[in-house]
Amino acid sequence: MTAGDGRNGGRDEPAPIETGRLGMRLLVAALSMLFAASLVAYGLIRSRAAVWPPAGMPHLPATLWVSTVLILASSVTMQAAVRAVRAGRERALRAGMLLTTLLGVLFLVSQTLNWFALVAAHLTAKANLYGFTFYILTGLHAAHVVGGLIPLAVVTARAFRGRYSAEFHPGVEYCAIYWHFLDVVWVVMFAVLMLSS
Amino acid sequence: MTGIESATGGFGSGGNALGRDNYLNHERGIKSWLLTRDHKRIGVMYLVVILSSFFLGGIFAELIRTKLLTPGNSALMKADTYNQMFTLHGAIMIFLFVIPGIPASLGNFVLPLMLGAKDVAFPRLNLASFYLWVGGATLALVSMVTGAVDTGWTFYTPYSTTTNTNVILMVAGVFVLGFSSIFTGLNFVVTIHKLRPAGMTWFRMPLFLWGIYGTAIIQIMATPVLGITLLLLIAERALGIGIFDPALGGDPVLFQHFFWFYSHPAVYIMILPAMGVISELVSVFSRKHIFGYTFIAMSSIAIAVLSFLVWGHHMFVAGQSTLSSMIFSFLTFMVAIPSAVKVFNWLATMYKGSIWLATPMLYVLSFLFLFGIGGLTGLFLGALAVDVHLHDTYFVVAHFHYVMFGGTVIAFLGGLHYWWPKMFGRMYSEFWGRIGALLVFVGFNTTFFTQFVMGSHGAPRRSYHYQPQFEAYHRLSTIGAYILGVGFVVIAVYLIHSLLRGRPAPANPWGGATLEWQASSPPPHDNFASTPAVGDPYDVEAWTWDGAVGGFVRRTPAEQPAGS
Repeated sequence: MTAGDGRNGGRDEPAPIETGRLGMRLLVAALSMLFAASLVAYGLIRSRAAVWPPAGMPHLPATLWVSTVLILASSVTMQAAVRAVRAGRERALRAGMLLTTLLGVLFLVSQTLNWFALVAAHLTAKANLYGFTFYILTGLHAAHVVGGLIPLAVVTARAFRGRYSAEFHPGVEYCAIYWHFLDVVWVVMFAVLMLSS
Repeated sequence: MTGIESATGGFGSGGNALGRDNYLNHERGIKSWLLTRDHKRIGVMYLVVILSSFFLGGIFAELIRTKLLTPGNSALMKADTYNQMFTLHGAIMIFLFVIPGIPASLGNFVLPLMLGAKDVAFPRLNLASFYLWVGGATLALVSMVTGAVDTGWTFYTPYSTTTNTNVILMVAGVFVLGFSSIFTGLNFVVTIHKLRPAGMTWFRMPLFLWGIYGTAIIQIMATPVLGITLLLLIAERALGIGIFDPALGGDPVLFQHFFWFYSHPAVYIMILPAMGVISELVSVFSRKHIFGYTFIAMSSIAIAVLSFLVWGHHMFVAGQSTLSSMIFSFLTFMVAIPSAVKVFNWLATMYKGSIWLATPMLYVLSFLFLFGIGGLTGLFLGALAVDVHLHDTYFVVAHFHYVMFGGTVIAFLGGLHYWWPKMFGRMYSEFWGRIGALLVFVGFNTTFFTQFVMGSHGAPRRSYHYQPQFEAYHRLSTIGAYILGVGFVVIAVYLIHSLLRGRPAPANPWGGATLEWQASSPPPHDNFASTPAVGDPYDVEAWTWDGAVGGFVRRTPAEQPAGS
């Protein structure tokens, strides 16, 4: 047995898929703590306030449902892409990746429109803690979506160049872990925001 | 495994590789260092920057102690400067030195070697973690020049949101350092899960790796909570509104809860790797198998779990309910159990061993003594009634220095001396090594034991002026700090001297049975020509000194006396 055979080949070669997946899961665990802590902080602030939203402040826009549908759909297309590449169906992989990226961008557009609508209704981050917590929570999530779109775009481009096969497609698997995580975080955050106001 | 050749990694003449291809001379030029993905080089780079931070933090400490020679105003620094000085001392020592210290420098170097592996699971991520550290440290240093923070290293609101010093930059630096910490922890967990060689089951793993593993779990799960807390603090300063402001329906105590939810586990990020180092050293230098392996390993995990449940003991006087204080007090006492399990197992390892008082072992003995005091005084502070008296006195300062310095820094020094020959292929002067260890021990106790006495008399911490009745204690404490400073100068001088003139080190100068001692000193670029045979990591009695080799060699089974 030579040093590292199978266990780690070279410092420049990609890590074996199971190694990479464990790494991604730990990253997701760490980020879960970030979102969990921010939601706990929100819950504590909410519990101290008698009226939420404060008098004269708008309710959260119903168009948040649009964002929710978009990100849920992107999770479905992401999973379709994973299934496609595992079965070696390249065309379906490309379609799945492209749709996921587009839905991700649309989610951000939808969120931006929501923010504009609230600002127009005089709810800014500086207005009160109702506004502050809303922008911090949704902004934190949106920042992670931006962070996810970059690798998603890279993997999509590689899929179009035919870099992935049923045997080798680590990028697709890692994107899927992260993207489903973003979906779950949004659903939990959305539920907390809606149920608490 | 038979004979000297294989036992010393096949390099002959004691296994020294200074004249041959090794990781230090495998590639040359500054670029080959700055862009390296070799865990050994990254470990060495961490060592350089971490020791530089320690030097800087130490300078601040000496200046603070010098001011405190007299109770009144001082020509050395004004009160505001003093506030900045102790804040920077704390922030630099905690975030730049103690937290990353053992895992990032010694851990990076030793972890893959102990696994008989070529590198960590994600070598590029490892280099990225290093640069995140550098980025975070740079932000912190820039904040020092542009308006050094005066909040204390804990950044408590509401002061941190109102002071006109450069809190945003300092906190942003700590935020970036947190990412470095998370990625290092993630890398180590995956490495330990996936790169253990055939035959190395979880319970045949060196205990240092158990310590690193427990640490890495805390780094991954607790650091993000600090991250969000610091982001909220930055947002509050930048926007002028935030959840820590009571005028708006927020709560400044919430900051304390969030801060300590990370920063108490962070205390164990600091101490668990230190305990791992001690577990290795105590067996090797007692020339005896470790006692109670499973208990030591499991107590690391128990400490890691309990660490998440005791943050409220920093807030006994912050107005939390008596019931929650009682619960936190009880849980705090629980931490003493796994800690004591470790100490008693180390003592049992030494019992009837042939104790070899080499420099690393002197640090082990220092650790046992100092950590014992540090841990037991933690129980004083964990008791509710006593804490009300001792809170914010020098007693607290002495307690955490006994744990952080007497524990972590002493173990770091022990580990540094233990692995130094492996890292650089040269031995340091054993005579000066012992003098250095002695000076540090005497200097440390003079500095901080005095503070226990002073604190129990009620001397408040952090204040620029103090009552004349404490002057004698402060003077003694400052003299101790100077002795400590001299000790570190001695250590720095002989270690640097050894790099240039030290005697070439054999592959196994101490008779360790873990795998890193089977690589040459220093190890080659790819660590091992072939994966070393995995055995009991504490079978140190199988290794004996061989004068012809100039190092320890493993006895072949035929040579071993029957029944050993």
